[in-house]
Amino acid sequence: MILVISLVVAILFGAGAYLLLKPDLFRVIVGVVLVSHAANLALMGSGLSRGQPPIYPLPFSDGISDPLVQALTLTAIVIGFAVTTLLLGLVVRVYRSHFAPDLDEVARAEARREAELERDEVSI
Amino acid sequence: MIALAVGIPWVAAVALLFLDGRRRWVGWLAVTAAAAGFGTVAALAALVVVDGPREVVAGGWPPGVGIVLRADALGVAFAVLSSGVLLVALAQQVIAGVRSRTFPALVLFLATGLTGLFLTGDVFNFYVFFELSMIAAYVLTTYGGRARQTGGAFIFAVVNLLGSFIFLIAVAAIYHVTGTLEMRAVADQLAVVEPSTVILIAVALFVAFGVKLGLFPFHFWLPVVYAGARPTVAAILGGALANIGSYGVLRFGAGLLPRELELGAVALLVIGGASIVYGSLQAVSRRTAPEVLAYSSIGQVGYVLVALSVGGRAGLAAAVVFALVNSLNKALLFLTVELRGWLVGAAFAVGALSVTGVPPSAGFFGKAALFRAGLDAGDVAVVVLLFLGGALSFVYMFQIYQRDHWRPASATAPGGSSPLAARAIAIGLAMLVIALGVWPEPLISIGEDAASALLGGR
Repeated sequence: MILVISLVVAILFGAGAYLLLKPDLFRVIVGVVLVSHAANLALMGSGLSRGQPPIYPLPFSDGISDPLVQALTLTAIVIGFAVTTLLLGLVVRVYRSHFAPDLDEVARAEARREAELERDEVSI
Repeated sequence: MIALAVGIPWVAAVALLFLDGRRRWVGWLAVTAAAAGFGTVAALAALVVVDGPREVVAGGWPPGVGIVLRADALGVAFAVLSSGVLLVALAQQVIAGVRSRTFPALVLFLATGLTGLFLTGDVFNFYVFFELSMIAAYVLTTYGGRARQTGGAFIFAVVNLLGSFIFLIAVAAIYHVTGTLEMRAVADQLAVVEPSTVILIAVALFVAFGVKLGLFPFHFWLPVVYAGARPTVAAILGGALANIGSYGVLRFGAGLLPRELELGAVALLVIGGASIVYGSLQAVSRRTAPEVLAYSSIGQVGYVLVALSVGGRAGLAAAVVFALVNSLNKALLFLTVELRGWLVGAAFAVGALSVTGVPPSAGFFGKAALFRAGLDAGDVAVVVLLFLGGALSFVYMFQIYQRDHWRPASATAPGGSSPLAARAIAIGLAMLVIALGVWPEPLISIGEDAASALLGGR
Protein backbone atom coordinates (compact mmCIF):
# COMPACT_ATOMS: atom_id res chain seq x y z
CA MET A 1 0.00 0.00 0.00
CA ILE A 2 2.78 2.37 0.95
CA LEU A 3 4.51 1.62 -2.34
CA VAL A 4 1.33 2.45 -4.27
CA ILE A 5 0.87 5.67 -2.33
CA SER A 6 4.45 6.76 -2.86
CA LEU A 7 4.15 6.05 -6.59
CA VAL A 8 0.95 8.11 -6.77
CA VAL A 9 2.63 10.92 -4.82
CA ALA A 10 5.55 10.85 -7.23
CA ILE A 11 3.27 10.96 -10.29
CA LEU A 12 1.13 13.75 -8.86
CA PHE A 13 4.16 15.82 -7.90
CA GLY A 14 5.78 15.27 -11.28
CA ALA A 15 2.62 16.20 -13.18
CA GLY A 16 2.14 19.23 -10.96
CA ALA A 17 5.72 20.39 -11.43
CA TYR A 18 5.35 19.96 -15.20
CA LEU A 19 2.19 22.08 -15.26
CA LEU A 20 3.84 24.71 -13.05
CA LEU A 21 6.35 25.34 -15.81
CA LYS A 22 3.65 26.12 -18.41
CA PRO A 23 3.08 29.72 -19.43
CA ASP A 24 -0.72 29.41 -19.15
CA LEU A 25 -1.80 30.70 -15.74
CA PHE A 26 -4.69 28.26 -15.32
CA ARG A 27 -2.36 25.33 -15.92
CA VAL A 28 -0.03 26.78 -13.30
CA ILE A 29 -2.90 26.73 -10.82
CA VAL A 30 -3.81 23.15 -11.67
CA GLY A 31 -0.13 22.37 -11.14
CA VAL A 32 -0.24 23.93 -7.67
CA VAL A 33 -3.37 21.94 -6.85
CA LEU A 34 -1.72 18.69 -7.96
CA VAL A 35 1.40 19.40 -5.92
CA SER A 36 -0.77 20.20 -2.89
CA HIS A 37 -2.56 16.87 -3.29
CA ALA A 38 0.78 15.11 -3.57
CA ALA A 39 1.70 16.66 -0.21
CA ASN A 40 -1.66 15.64 1.32
CA LEU A 41 -1.26 12.09 0.14
CA ALA A 42 2.30 11.97 1.45
CA LEU A 43 0.93 13.12 4.80
CA MET A 44 -1.67 10.32 4.71
CA GLY A 45 0.95 7.79 3.74
CA SER A 46 3.28 8.82 6.56
CA GLY A 47 1.07 7.31 9.25
CA LEU A 48 -0.62 4.49 7.43
CA SER A 49 -1.35 1.56 9.73
CA ARG A 50 -3.91 -1.23 9.82
CA GLY A 51 -6.02 -1.53 12.94
CA GLN A 52 -9.22 -0.94 14.85
CA PRO A 53 -10.96 2.41 14.42
CA PRO A 54 -9.61 4.86 17.01
CA ILE A 55 -12.98 5.61 18.64
CA TYR A 56 -13.34 5.96 22.39
CA PRO A 57 -13.62 3.62 24.35
CA LEU A 58 -10.52 2.19 22.73
CA PRO A 59 -10.59 -1.53 21.94
CA PHE A 60 -8.05 -3.48 23.98
CA SER A 61 -7.18 -5.78 21.11
CA ASP A 62 -3.85 -5.12 19.42
CA GLY A 63 -3.40 -2.11 17.19
CA ILE A 64 -5.49 0.93 16.53
CA SER A 65 -4.94 2.87 13.37
CA ASP A 66 -3.33 6.28 13.61
CA PRO A 67 -5.98 9.05 13.73
CA LEU A 68 -3.49 11.90 13.74
CA VAL A 69 -2.54 11.85 10.06
CA GLN A 70 -6.17 12.14 9.02
CA ALA A 71 -6.61 15.24 11.15
CA LEU A 72 -3.41 16.69 9.72
CA THR A 73 -4.45 15.90 6.15
CA LEU A 74 -7.85 17.46 6.70
CA THR A 75 -6.18 20.67 7.88
CA ALA A 76 -3.79 20.58 4.93
CA ILE A 77 -6.66 20.06 2.48
CA VAL A 78 -8.52 23.06 3.88
CA ILE A 79 -5.40 25.21 3.59
CA GLY A 80 -4.83 23.98 0.04
CA PHE A 81 -8.43 24.81 -0.84
CA ALA A 82 -8.13 28.34 0.56
CA VAL A 83 -4.91 28.86 -1.34
CA THR A 84 -6.48 27.66 -4.59
CA THR A 85 -9.34 30.15 -4.33
CA LEU A 86 -6.84 32.89 -3.56
CA LEU A 87 -4.78 31.97 -6.62
CA LEU A 88 -7.87 31.96 -8.84
CA GLY A 89 -8.72 35.41 -7.52
CA LEU A 90 -5.19 36.56 -8.30
CA VAL A 91 -5.47 35.24 -11.86
CA VAL A 92 -8.62 37.29 -12.36
CA ARG A 93 -6.71 40.36 -11.17
CA VAL A 94 -3.75 39.59 -13.43
CA TYR A 95 -6.12 39.02 -16.33
CA ARG A 96 -7.84 42.34 -15.70
CA SER A 97 -4.63 44.32 -15.49
CA HIS A 98 -2.73 42.64 -18.34
CA PHE A 99 -5.67 41.41 -20.46
CA ALA A 100 -3.99 38.04 -20.85
CA PRO A 101 -4.11 34.83 -18.80
CA ASP A 102 -0.61 34.07 -20.00
CA LEU A 103 2.75 34.55 -18.33
CA ASP A 104 4.51 35.31 -21.62
CA GLU A 105 2.21 38.26 -22.13
CA VAL A 106 2.84 39.44 -18.56
CA ALA A 107 6.58 39.12 -19.12
CA ARG A 108 6.34 41.15 -22.31
CA ALA A 109 4.46 43.89 -20.44
CA GLU A 110 7.24 43.86 -17.82
CA ALA A 111 9.87 44.17 -20.53
CA ARG A 112 8.06 47.13 -22.10
CA ARG A 113 7.92 48.84 -18.73
CA GLU A 114 11.62 48.25 -18.15
CA ALA A 115 12.42 49.70 -21.54
CA GLU A 116 10.43 52.81 -20.65
CA LEU A 117 12.35 53.13 -17.40
CA GLU A 118 15.65 52.87 -19.29
CA ARG A 119 14.59 55.66 -21.61
CA ASP A 120 13.61 57.87 -18.67
CA GLU A 121 16.98 57.24 -17.08
CA VAL A 122 18.82 58.26 -20.24
CA SER A 123 16.75 61.40 -20.73
CA ILE A 124 17.59 62.54 -17.18
CA MET B 1 0.81 35.00 28.18
CA ILE B 2 1.91 33.10 25.06
CA ALA B 3 -1.70 32.53 24.03
CA LEU B 4 -2.33 36.24 24.56
CA ALA B 5 0.59 37.18 22.30
CA VAL B 6 -0.95 35.16 19.46
CA GLY B 7 -4.55 35.94 20.39
CA ILE B 8 -4.49 39.75 20.49
CA PRO B 9 -3.54 40.32 16.85
CA TRP B 10 -5.79 37.45 15.74
CA VAL B 11 -8.94 38.78 17.42
CA ALA B 12 -8.15 42.30 16.25
CA ALA B 13 -7.58 41.07 12.67
CA VAL B 14 -10.91 39.24 12.56
CA ALA B 15 -12.71 42.28 13.96
CA LEU B 16 -11.00 44.63 11.51
CA LEU B 17 -12.14 42.52 8.56
CA PHE B 18 -15.63 43.89 9.14
CA LEU B 19 -14.49 47.50 9.11
CA ASP B 20 -13.38 49.66 6.23
CA GLY B 21 -9.61 49.96 6.56
CA ARG B 22 -9.50 53.14 4.50
CA ARG B 23 -10.96 55.16 7.34
CA ARG B 24 -8.48 56.92 9.56
CA TRP B 25 -9.87 55.72 12.88
CA VAL B 26 -9.91 52.11 11.71
CA GLY B 27 -6.27 52.49 10.72
CA TRP B 28 -5.34 53.87 14.11
CA LEU B 29 -7.36 51.13 15.81
CA ALA B 30 -5.26 48.61 13.89
CA VAL B 31 -2.08 50.41 14.97
CA THR B 32 -3.26 50.26 18.59
CA ALA B 33 -3.95 46.53 18.31
CA ALA B 34 -0.56 45.95 16.68
CA ALA B 35 1.07 47.97 19.47
CA ALA B 36 -0.77 45.88 22.08
CA GLY B 37 0.44 42.70 20.39
CA PHE B 38 3.97 44.07 20.24
CA GLY B 39 3.81 45.04 23.92
CA THR B 40 2.67 41.53 24.92
CA VAL B 41 5.41 39.89 22.90
CA ALA B 42 7.99 42.27 24.38
CA ALA B 43 6.77 41.51 27.93
CA LEU B 44 6.94 37.80 27.12
CA ALA B 45 10.47 38.30 25.83
CA ALA B 46 11.47 40.02 29.07
CA LEU B 47 10.04 37.11 31.08
CA VAL B 48 11.84 34.55 28.92
CA VAL B 49 15.17 36.37 29.18
CA VAL B 50 14.90 36.60 32.96
CA ASP B 51 13.24 33.27 33.86
CA GLY B 52 14.07 31.00 30.94
CA PRO B 53 11.73 29.35 28.42
CA ARG B 54 8.00 29.15 29.04
CA GLU B 55 5.61 26.56 27.76
CA VAL B 56 1.85 26.18 27.38
CA VAL B 57 -0.01 23.07 26.27
CA ALA B 58 -3.17 24.04 24.43
CA GLY B 59 -6.48 22.89 25.88
CA GLY B 60 -5.04 21.69 29.20
CA TRP B 61 -3.89 18.35 27.73
CA PRO B 62 -0.91 16.59 29.26
CA PRO B 63 2.38 17.41 27.48
CA GLY B 64 3.04 14.97 24.66
CA VAL B 65 -0.65 14.78 23.78
CA GLY B 66 -1.72 18.39 23.34
CA ILE B 67 -0.25 20.97 21.01
CA VAL B 68 2.63 22.84 22.59
CA LEU B 69 3.34 26.54 22.43
CA ARG B 70 6.84 27.28 23.63
CA ALA B 71 8.65 30.59 23.99
CA ASP B 72 12.43 30.39 24.13
CA ALA B 73 15.07 33.05 23.51
CA LEU B 74 15.32 32.36 19.77
CA GLY B 75 11.56 32.45 19.22
CA VAL B 76 10.85 35.59 21.23
CA ALA B 77 13.76 37.47 19.66
CA PHE B 78 12.32 36.91 16.18
CA ALA B 79 8.75 37.51 17.39
CA VAL B 80 9.63 40.86 18.97
CA LEU B 81 11.49 41.99 15.87
CA SER B 82 8.77 40.91 13.43
CA SER B 83 5.86 42.40 15.32
CA GLY B 84 7.90 45.58 15.80
CA VAL B 85 8.57 45.87 12.07
CA LEU B 86 4.91 45.20 11.28
CA LEU B 87 3.82 47.86 13.79
CA VAL B 88 6.14 50.45 12.28
CA ALA B 89 5.19 49.63 8.69
CA LEU B 90 1.48 49.71 9.50
CA ALA B 91 1.82 53.03 11.31
CA GLN B 92 3.62 54.53 8.35
CA GLN B 93 1.03 53.31 5.88
CA VAL B 94 -1.79 54.68 8.04
CA ILE B 95 -0.07 58.06 8.13
CA ALA B 96 0.35 58.04 4.37
CA GLY B 97 -3.27 56.92 3.94
CA VAL B 98 -4.48 53.36 3.41
CA ARG B 99 -6.01 52.77 0.00
CA SER B 100 -7.40 49.31 0.48
CA ARG B 101 -10.20 48.01 2.69
CA THR B 102 -8.36 45.02 4.04
CA PHE B 103 -4.80 46.30 4.48
CA PRO B 104 -4.85 46.77 8.31
CA ALA B 105 -6.57 43.43 8.91
CA LEU B 106 -4.06 41.64 6.68
CA VAL B 107 -1.09 43.13 8.51
CA LEU B 108 -2.56 41.89 11.78
CA PHE B 109 -3.17 38.43 10.31
CA LEU B 110 0.45 38.42 9.28
CA ALA B 111 1.40 39.41 12.83
CA THR B 112 -0.69 36.51 14.18
CA GLY B 113 0.90 34.04 11.81
CA LEU B 114 4.44 35.19 12.52
CA THR B 115 4.04 35.32 16.30
CA GLY B 116 2.47 31.87 16.31
CA LEU B 117 5.16 30.48 14.07
CA PHE B 118 7.98 31.74 16.26
CA LEU B 119 6.30 30.54 19.46
CA THR B 120 5.03 27.13 18.44
CA GLY B 121 6.67 23.92 19.61
CA ASP B 122 4.91 21.68 17.12
CA VAL B 123 6.11 20.95 13.60
CA PHE B 124 2.68 20.76 12.00
CA ASN B 125 1.46 23.89 13.75
CA PHE B 126 4.53 25.57 12.34
CA TYR B 127 3.17 24.72 8.89
CA VAL B 128 -0.30 26.07 9.74
CA PHE B 129 1.04 29.39 11.03
CA PHE B 130 3.46 29.48 8.12
CA GLU B 131 0.56 29.24 5.65
CA LEU B 132 -1.47 31.78 7.62
CA SER B 133 1.28 34.37 7.35
CA MET B 134 2.07 33.48 3.75
CA ILE B 135 -1.55 33.85 2.61
CA ALA B 136 -1.75 37.25 4.29
CA ALA B 137 1.51 38.17 2.57
CA TYR B 138 0.29 37.08 -0.87
CA VAL B 139 -2.70 39.38 -0.57
CA LEU B 140 -0.59 42.20 0.89
CA THR B 141 1.73 42.04 -2.12
CA THR B 142 -1.17 42.97 -4.39
CA TYR B 143 -1.59 46.18 -2.37
CA GLY B 144 -1.51 49.06 -4.79
CA GLY B 145 -3.52 47.05 -7.30
CA ARG B 146 -1.48 47.96 -10.40
CA ALA B 147 -0.35 45.48 -13.00
CA ARG B 148 3.14 45.23 -11.50
CA GLN B 149 1.84 44.35 -8.04
CA THR B 150 -0.61 41.71 -9.19
CA GLY B 151 1.93 40.13 -11.55
CA GLY B 152 4.51 40.10 -8.76
CA ALA B 153 2.00 38.68 -6.29
CA PHE B 154 1.14 35.81 -8.61
CA ILE B 155 4.76 34.80 -9.06
CA PHE B 156 5.36 35.21 -5.32
CA ALA B 157 2.35 33.03 -4.48
CA VAL B 158 3.12 30.21 -6.91
CA VAL B 159 6.81 29.90 -6.08
CA ASN B 160 6.28 30.11 -2.35
CA LEU B 161 3.39 27.65 -2.44
CA LEU B 162 5.70 25.15 -4.05
CA GLY B 163 8.11 25.80 -1.17
CA SER B 164 5.32 25.36 1.38
CA PHE B 165 4.25 22.03 -0.07
CA ILE B 166 7.82 20.79 -0.07
CA PHE B 167 7.89 21.76 3.60
CA LEU B 168 4.64 19.85 4.16
CA ILE B 169 6.11 16.75 2.55
CA ALA B 170 9.13 17.12 4.85
CA VAL B 171 6.73 17.31 7.83
CA ALA B 172 5.08 14.10 6.64
CA ALA B 173 8.52 12.49 6.37
CA ILE B 174 9.43 13.66 9.89
CA TYR B 175 6.23 12.15 11.23
CA HIS B 176 6.86 8.92 9.39
CA VAL B 177 10.41 8.60 10.73
CA THR B 178 9.84 9.76 14.30
CA GLY B 179 6.13 9.19 14.98
CA THR B 180 5.77 12.55 16.69
CA LEU B 181 5.42 16.20 15.77
CA GLU B 182 6.54 17.86 19.00
CA MET B 183 9.82 19.61 18.25
CA ARG B 184 11.85 18.40 21.23
CA ALA B 185 10.69 14.81 20.83
CA VAL B 186 11.45 15.05 17.11
CA ALA B 187 14.97 16.28 17.91
CA ASP B 188 15.52 13.38 20.35
CA GLN B 189 14.24 10.81 17.86
CA LEU B 190 16.14 12.17 14.88
CA ALA B 191 19.39 12.05 16.86
CA VAL B 192 19.27 8.23 16.88
CA VAL B 193 18.08 7.65 13.29
CA GLU B 194 20.62 6.95 10.53
CA PRO B 195 21.72 10.27 8.99
CA SER B 196 21.32 8.78 5.50
CA THR B 197 17.53 8.69 6.06
CA VAL B 198 17.31 12.08 7.66
CA ILE B 199 19.50 13.89 5.14
CA LEU B 200 16.66 13.81 2.59
CA ILE B 201 14.32 15.46 5.07
CA ALA B 202 17.01 18.01 5.83
CA VAL B 203 17.41 18.81 2.14
CA ALA B 204 13.64 19.22 1.66
CA LEU B 205 13.47 21.57 4.65
CA PHE B 206 16.47 23.51 3.41
CA VAL B 207 14.88 23.96 -0.04
CA ALA B 208 11.62 25.12 1.54
CA PHE B 209 13.34 27.76 3.69
CA GLY B 210 15.78 28.65 0.93
CA VAL B 211 12.82 29.62 -1.25
CA LYS B 212 11.46 31.72 1.59
CA LEU B 213 14.79 33.46 2.18
CA GLY B 214 15.56 33.95 -1.51
CA LEU B 215 18.92 32.22 -1.35
CA PHE B 216 20.95 32.15 -4.55
CA PRO B 217 19.59 29.19 -6.53
CA PHE B 218 16.04 29.86 -5.26
CA HIS B 219 16.09 33.63 -5.51
CA PHE B 220 14.47 34.13 -8.94
CA TRP B 221 11.10 35.29 -7.59
CA LEU B 222 12.47 37.81 -5.11
CA PRO B 223 13.55 40.87 -7.16
CA VAL B 224 10.27 41.05 -9.11
CA VAL B 225 8.24 40.93 -5.91
CA TYR B 226 10.32 43.27 -3.75
CA ALA B 227 10.80 45.84 -6.48
CA GLY B 228 7.19 45.62 -7.62
CA ALA B 229 5.52 45.87 -4.20
CA ARG B 230 4.79 49.18 -2.49
CA PRO B 231 7.68 50.26 -0.19
CA THR B 232 5.69 49.60 3.00
CA VAL B 233 4.83 46.11 1.79
CA ALA B 234 8.44 45.56 0.73
CA ALA B 235 9.52 46.58 4.24
CA ILE B 236 7.06 44.05 5.67
CA LEU B 237 8.31 41.33 3.32
CA GLY B 238 12.00 42.06 3.88
CA GLY B 239 11.81 42.96 7.56
CA ALA B 240 9.21 40.55 8.93
CA LEU B 241 8.34 37.79 6.47
CA ALA B 242 11.92 36.89 5.52
CA ASN B 243 12.46 36.12 9.21
CA ILE B 244 10.52 32.89 8.63
CA GLY B 245 13.37 31.67 6.48
CA SER B 246 16.16 32.58 8.90
CA TYR B 247 14.20 31.27 11.88
CA GLY B 248 13.31 28.09 10.04
CA VAL B 249 16.88 27.39 9.00
CA LEU B 250 18.04 28.02 12.57
CA ARG B 251 15.27 26.10 14.33
CA PHE B 252 15.10 23.13 12.01
CA GLY B 253 18.74 23.08 10.94
CA ALA B 254 20.53 23.78 14.19
CA GLY B 255 17.76 22.74 16.59
CA LEU B 256 16.32 19.57 15.07
CA LEU B 257 18.93 18.33 12.62
CA PRO B 258 22.35 19.32 14.03
CA ARG B 259 24.17 16.27 12.66
CA GLU B 260 22.83 16.79 9.15
CA LEU B 261 23.75 20.46 9.41
CA GLU B 262 27.33 19.48 10.09
CA LEU B 263 27.30 17.05 7.17
CA GLY B 264 26.06 19.79 4.89
CA ALA B 265 28.31 22.56 6.23
CA VAL B 266 30.35 22.81 3.04
CA ALA B 267 27.22 22.99 0.88
CA LEU B 268 25.85 25.74 3.12
CA LEU B 269 29.10 27.69 2.85
CA VAL B 270 29.10 27.39 -0.94
CA ILE B 271 25.43 28.40 -1.33
CA GLY B 272 25.81 31.23 1.18
CA GLY B 273 28.94 32.47 -0.54
CA ALA B 274 27.27 32.29 -3.95
CA SER B 275 24.31 34.28 -2.58
CA ILE B 276 26.61 36.95 -1.17
CA VAL B 277 28.62 37.37 -4.36
CA TYR B 278 25.68 37.09 -6.77
CA GLY B 279 23.38 39.38 -4.75
CA SER B 280 26.04 42.04 -4.27
CA LEU B 281 27.17 42.06 -7.90
CA GLN B 282 23.58 42.28 -9.16
CA ALA B 283 22.85 45.04 -6.65
CA VAL B 284 25.82 47.06 -7.89
CA SER B 285 24.47 46.85 -11.44
CA ARG B 286 20.91 47.99 -10.62
CA ARG B 287 19.71 51.55 -10.73
CA THR B 288 16.46 51.96 -8.79
CA ALA B 289 16.56 51.81 -5.01
CA PRO B 290 13.95 49.01 -4.58
CA GLU B 291 15.81 46.76 -7.01
CA VAL B 292 19.17 47.37 -5.36
CA LEU B 293 17.63 46.60 -1.97
CA ALA B 294 15.99 43.45 -3.32
CA TYR B 295 19.30 42.09 -4.61
CA SER B 296 21.01 43.25 -1.46
CA SER B 297 18.56 41.06 0.53
CA ILE B 298 19.69 38.05 -1.49
CA GLY B 299 23.27 38.89 -0.60
CA GLN B 300 22.60 39.57 3.07
CA VAL B 301 20.81 36.28 3.79
CA GLY B 302 23.90 34.54 2.50
CA TYR B 303 25.71 35.67 5.64
CA VAL B 304 23.19 33.85 7.84
CA LEU B 305 23.97 30.66 5.97
CA VAL B 306 27.71 31.21 6.18
CA ALA B 307 27.41 31.73 9.95
CA LEU B 308 25.40 28.49 10.20
CA SER B 309 28.02 26.59 8.27
CA VAL B 310 30.67 27.75 10.75
CA GLY B 311 28.41 26.29 13.42
CA GLY B 312 29.12 25.90 17.10
CA ARG B 313 27.99 28.31 19.75
CA ALA B 314 29.71 31.35 18.25
CA GLY B 315 28.47 30.62 14.75
CA LEU B 316 24.85 30.18 15.82
CA ALA B 317 24.92 33.32 17.95
CA ALA B 318 26.37 35.21 14.99
CA ALA B 319 23.65 33.86 12.70
CA VAL B 320 20.91 34.99 15.10
CA VAL B 321 22.38 38.45 15.64
CA PHE B 322 23.00 38.94 11.95
CA ALA B 323 19.50 37.80 10.95
CA LEU B 324 17.91 40.19 13.46
CA VAL B 325 20.04 43.16 12.46
CA ASN B 326 19.52 42.45 8.77
CA SER B 327 15.72 42.53 9.09
CA LEU B 328 15.91 45.78 10.97
CA ASN B 329 18.15 47.29 8.27
CA LYS B 330 15.89 46.15 5.46
CA ALA B 331 12.77 47.51 7.16
CA LEU B 332 14.47 50.89 7.69
CA LEU B 333 15.81 51.11 4.14
CA PHE B 334 12.58 50.08 2.39
CA LEU B 335 10.60 52.53 4.53
CA THR B 336 12.86 55.43 3.55
CA VAL B 337 12.74 54.65 -0.18
CA GLU B 338 9.81 56.92 -0.96
CA LEU B 339 10.35 59.51 1.74
CA ARG B 340 12.09 62.78 1.05
CA GLY B 341 12.95 65.73 3.19
CA TRP B 342 14.82 66.83 6.22
CA LEU B 343 16.93 64.11 7.89
CA VAL B 344 15.48 61.26 5.80
CA GLY B 345 18.76 61.13 3.91
CA ALA B 346 20.50 60.73 7.25
CA ALA B 347 18.15 57.89 8.22
CA PHE B 348 18.90 56.20 4.91
CA ALA B 349 22.63 56.68 5.44
CA VAL B 350 22.37 55.05 8.86
CA GLY B 351 20.66 52.04 7.29
CA ALA B 352 23.25 51.93 4.53
CA LEU B 353 26.13 52.07 7.04
CA SER B 354 24.45 49.33 9.02
CA VAL B 355 24.22 47.09 5.94
CA THR B 356 27.87 47.73 5.21
CA GLY B 357 28.78 47.08 8.82
CA VAL B 358 30.37 50.38 9.82
CA PRO B 359 30.31 51.28 13.53
CA PRO B 360 28.47 52.73 15.42
CA SER B 361 25.54 50.99 13.75
CA ALA B 362 23.93 47.70 14.71
CA GLY B 363 25.21 46.10 11.51
CA PHE B 364 28.76 46.36 12.81
CA PHE B 365 28.03 43.88 15.58
CA GLY B 366 26.29 41.50 13.19
CA LYS B 367 29.37 41.46 10.99
CA ALA B 368 31.77 41.46 13.97
CA ALA B 369 30.08 38.41 15.47
CA LEU B 370 30.37 36.62 12.13
CA PHE B 371 33.99 37.66 11.80
CA ARG B 372 34.87 36.35 15.22
CA ALA B 373 33.06 33.07 14.55
CA GLY B 374 35.00 32.71 11.30
CA LEU B 375 38.34 33.46 12.96
CA ASP B 376 37.62 31.08 15.84
CA ALA B 377 36.92 28.30 13.38
CA GLY B 378 40.06 29.26 11.45
CA ASP B 379 37.97 29.52 8.29
CA VAL B 380 39.76 31.68 5.72
CA ALA B 381 36.91 31.45 3.19
CA VAL B 382 34.46 33.07 5.64
CA VAL B 383 36.75 35.99 6.34
CA VAL B 384 37.44 36.59 2.65
CA LEU B 385 33.72 36.43 1.85
CA LEU B 386 32.98 38.94 4.59
CA PHE B 387 35.49 41.42 3.21
CA LEU B 388 34.31 40.99 -0.36
CA GLY B 389 30.61 41.27 0.54
CA GLY B 390 31.28 44.28 2.75
CA ALA B 391 33.17 46.13 0.04
CA LEU B 392 30.49 45.44 -2.58
CA SER B 393 27.68 46.47 -0.25
CA PHE B 394 29.50 49.73 0.38
CA VAL B 395 29.51 50.40 -3.36
CA TYR B 396 25.86 49.65 -4.00
CA MET B 397 24.43 51.31 -0.89
CA PHE B 398 26.18 54.59 -1.60
CA GLN B 399 25.25 54.47 -5.25
CA ILE B 400 21.61 54.71 -4.18
CA TYR B 401 22.42 57.35 -1.61
CA GLN B 402 24.12 59.45 -4.23
CA ARG B 403 21.33 59.00 -6.73
CA ASP B 404 18.40 59.60 -4.42
CA HIS B 405 19.61 61.98 -1.76
CA TRP B 406 22.43 64.03 -3.25
CA ARG B 407 20.39 65.60 -6.01
CA PRO B 408 18.62 68.88 -5.46
CA ALA B 409 15.29 68.24 -3.75
CA SER B 410 13.22 69.25 -6.79
CA ALA B 411 14.75 66.54 -8.98
CA THR B 412 14.06 63.64 -6.67
CA ALA B 413 10.83 64.48 -4.89
CA PRO B 414 8.04 65.44 -7.22
CA GLY B 415 5.55 65.76 -4.37
CA GLY B 416 7.74 67.83 -2.05
CA SER B 417 8.80 66.40 1.29
CA SER B 418 6.83 63.68 3.03
CA PRO B 419 4.55 63.94 6.10
CA LEU B 420 6.43 64.78 9.27
CA ALA B 421 5.10 61.77 11.18
CA ALA B 422 6.24 59.34 8.46
CA ARG B 423 9.70 60.87 8.53
CA ALA B 424 9.73 60.75 12.33
CA ILE B 425 9.12 56.98 12.19
CA ALA B 426 11.99 56.43 9.76
CA ILE B 427 14.29 58.56 11.88
CA GLY B 428 13.16 56.72 15.02
CA LEU B 429 14.11 53.41 13.41
CA ALA B 430 17.48 54.87 12.41
CA MET B 431 18.03 55.96 16.02
CA LEU B 432 17.22 52.42 17.13
CA VAL B 433 19.83 51.04 14.73
CA ILE B 434 22.41 53.45 16.15
CA ALA B 435 21.33 52.77 19.73
CA LEU B 436 21.83 49.03 19.20
CA GLY B 437 25.24 49.82 17.78
CA VAL B 438 26.24 51.99 20.73
CA TRP B 439 24.81 49.64 23.34
CA PRO B 440 24.87 46.17 21.74
CA GLU B 441 24.76 44.29 25.05
CA PRO B 442 21.06 43.18 24.78
CA LEU B 443 21.47 42.13 21.15
CA ILE B 444 24.56 40.03 21.82
CA SER B 445 23.16 38.46 24.96
CA ILE B 446 19.95 37.46 23.18
CA GLY B 447 22.08 35.95 20.42
CA GLU B 448 23.99 33.91 23.03
CA ASP B 449 20.76 32.86 24.75
CA ALA B 450 19.25 31.79 21.45
CA ALA B 451 22.35 29.78 20.57
CA SER B 452 22.27 27.98 23.91
CA ALA B 453 18.53 27.35 23.50
CA LEU B 454 19.29 25.72 20.15
CA LEU B 455 22.20 23.68 21.49
CA GLY B 456 20.31 22.73 24.65
CA GLY B 457 17.37 21.51 22.60
CA ARG B 458 19.32 18.48 21.42
